[in-house]
Amino acid sequence: MTRWLRHPLTGPVVATFVVALLVWSTTDRFLAIGNLNNLALQVSIVALVAIGSTIVIIVGGIDLSPGSMIALLTMLLASMLKFWGVEFWLAIVLTLIAGAVLGCVNGFVTAYLRIPSFIATLAALSAYRGIAFMFNKGSPVFDASDRLEPLFYGHVFGIPLPFFYIVVFFVAAHWLMRHMRLGRCIYAVGGNANAARLSGINVRRTQFLAFVIAGFMAAVGAVLMAARLNSGSPNYGVGLELQAIAAAVIGGASLAGGRGDIVATLFGALTITIVQNGLNLNAVATSTQNVVIGAIIVLAVGIDMWRDEIGRLRFFSRARRSAIGPIKEGDHQ
Amino acid sequence: MQSPHAVAWELRDVRKTFGPVVANDGVSLILYRGQIHGLVGENGSGKSTLIKTLCGVHRPDEGTVLCGDQQVHLDHPITARSLGVATVFQEFSLVPDLTVAENIQLGRWPGRAFRVNWRTLREAAKQVLGDLGIEISPDARVGDLSKAQQQLVEIAKGIAANASIFILDEPTTALGAREIEHLHALLRRMRSGGTAILYISHRLDEVVRLADVVTVMRNGRVVSDADETPLEVGAIVRRMIGKDIEKHYARMHTTIGQPLLEVRDISTDSGVRRVTLTLHRGEVLGFGGMLGSGRSEIARALFGIEPLTSGEIRLRGRALNLRSPADAIAAGIALLPEDRKNDGLFFNFTGARNITVASLGDYDRGFSLDLRRERTASQDLIEQLRVTPEAQYQLVDHLSGGNQQKILIARWLNTGAEVLIFDEPTQGIDIGAKEAIYELINTVTRAGKGVILISSDDQELLSISDRIALVRAGRVVRTAAAGEVTKSDLLETTAERMTAA
Repeated sequence: MTRWLRHPLTGPVVATFVVALLVWSTTDRFLAIGNLNNLALQVSIVALVAIGSTIVIIVGGIDLSPGSMIALLTMLLASMLKFWGVEFWLAIVLTLIAGAVLGCVNGFVTAYLRIPSFIATLAALSAYRGIAFMFNKGSPVFDASDRLEPLFYGHVFGIPLPFFYIVVFFVAAHWLMRHMRLGRCIYAVGGNANAARLSGINVRRTQFLAFVIAGFMAAVGAVLMAARLNSGSPNYGVGLELQAIAAAVIGGASLAGGRGDIVATLFGALTITIVQNGLNLNAVATSTQNVVIGAIIVLAVGIDMWRDEIGRLRFFSRARRSAIGPIKEGDHQ
Repeated sequence: MQSPHAVAWELRDVRKTFGPVVANDGVSLILYRGQIHGLVGENGSGKSTLIKTLCGVHRPDEGTVLCGDQQVHLDHPITARSLGVATVFQEFSLVPDLTVAENIQLGRWPGRAFRVNWRTLREAAKQVLGDLGIEISPDARVGDLSKAQQQLVEIAKGIAANASIFILDEPTTALGAREIEHLHALLRRMRSGGTAILYISHRLDEVVRLADVVTVMRNGRVVSDADETPLEVGAIVRRMIGKDIEKHYARMHTTIGQPLLEVRDISTDSGVRRVTLTLHRGEVLGFGGMLGSGRSEIARALFGIEPLTSGEIRLRGRALNLRSPADAIAAGIALLPEDRKNDGLFFNFTGARNITVASLGDYDRGFSLDLRRERTASQDLIEQLRVTPEAQYQLVDHLSGGNQQKILIARWLNTGAEVLIFDEPTQGIDIGAKEAIYELINTVTRAGKGVILISSDDQELLSISDRIALVRAGRVVRTAAAGEVTKSDLLETTAERMTAA
């Protein structure tokens, strides 16, 4: 019944288009090439971090630390480049590794010490930002390296680089979750950890690895953040974890675990970014923006939860009958 | 049959659909005051939907619900409750952190405004528990109680509601013989007090003993109403499945082969005490004894859930070192857990993915799972075990209990396990599915595998097992051929256990 309504991508894609139409109706500048470019740049960091948040949510946890991780890792990267004379690419690789290590810490505390992930990563949120302030006496590191900015602002074939990062990482993450054993185990553990253990799945290792992936994705976000601003700062990434979680949730991920979709999260991130972009174009104050985003989260999750009821409305059933036709209806009889 | 009593509740031509599935198709039912009405039918026959309609959980698409002679709209469980509907569901609706007394009176705590009268609360709970003949302290935290005790509290809660209609959905699955008698006595007393009782159970002998009239449902319809149904198990079964069953428990005994699993002197901290037993190829070894006798704990030890503190387990002559279920699965041991919902099923997966989840290693090519081979494997098992074809793409949530259980068995067949431990494999599933599971047990033993069967259904245990190990307080007190064990042996084990505890 109403299959297209049930598809995990339907909600987030519709949400994205609805907000895009709304924004477009308020300003012509929305579809200007410059703005679309800008949009792609804006969405990239949230979207990449949200990959990790989604995977952790699917395994049945939550990660509140990526915002602070980004602060720490931009400081680390900028310090390596500016003060410690580390070779450029090595510094990038070390930053990514450091992110995975921070993820290991979160994963270890959650999966092996069995501290609930909300508490563990709340502690990490505080601790990692604290560590970020220990670099360079707590001051931002500006002009880290002139090779940094091209990583973010560069183009290949006239297309901005962040677009490629999004494609590469989302394809990889989608593959991991839908085609690899680890991905299946992540869904299994999030769906029913007890049953997963009794089916021979190493539950703790699975949870651990989910946090490691989240840490790695936060590091990817950190590299882009540092490249975008050619600097590191202990104040970067405040609230980013909440945007990433919001993207996952708008994308239909269930905080109870076991449900969620990587590609849907991308549309979740797009929805948030388009709203922000639209409000910016209309010169709405940041404070108002935050209120609007809060409302969007409730609305998106609400629509997801009420989907069954919406599906039963006459308008949709009639539309389904005429437009989609008899899809496997006979199989149920 | 004469109906001397007043009508308490009536359903007229109730129809309820879920998408393309017609769960209730023109169902009519009359419930009289002072009458115990049995409702039976296979899983998926529409009983649960009917109950939920009466409780205000589902709103019918068509048809009417009458309370007395007044038509009512049960648009919410609260509406139903205020009209005097009390229900004991299969799934518990207890708050684990509250005490027994608080749970029993949940939502009706005595007292005024912001002050709860704790003493009245306690006394009222004590009264109900006393009536039931249960010795559970009203001050105990519900989360600390055993499953059987929680079941009793759940029933006490329904009784305390002083309802005009009392609905019980499979109330006895976790109860022992003595507790069932207490419950039945109490229900009879409520009947003479004028309460209408709707009693749903898969244990037909129980229904026949207790109920005044029985309604049989099949495929969403009433196939035999209260006036037509004879109070006799065989006749009810025929109406339930729509055909005769030749033999209820068709066990084909196979030739017993070499020892497969040898357990020597194992103990665990969870209460297994120096258990020794041998399971042969082609054999069904039954564990007799009641809930809490330690049968499930032995099973858990054999599956690597509980670490051994002493003794050893040998499979095909090789000593095993089981540190986790993963080790046990790799060695070729499988456990079908008693609690399908919490320990077995992945409700976010389709039936097919539930089947393959324990053998993902077989499809792992490093960077990808061989999804095509995975689908073929699950499809084969779905056909072989005659699971509904929907299982291939439907979430297990939407499948019946019998289909869910078959899917869990398929999961273990797919791992190629040789020792299959079935903990209450037929609990809460209908007769058709039960038969299918007995048939499966025959198939696997014929293939030279060994089955350990734990069952609270004595008849089933005696008929299906080749040998029976009587378990009491974590020990195997006696092992004998099934023919030499009688029902009273099983009960004795139970009784001794009760006095011991």
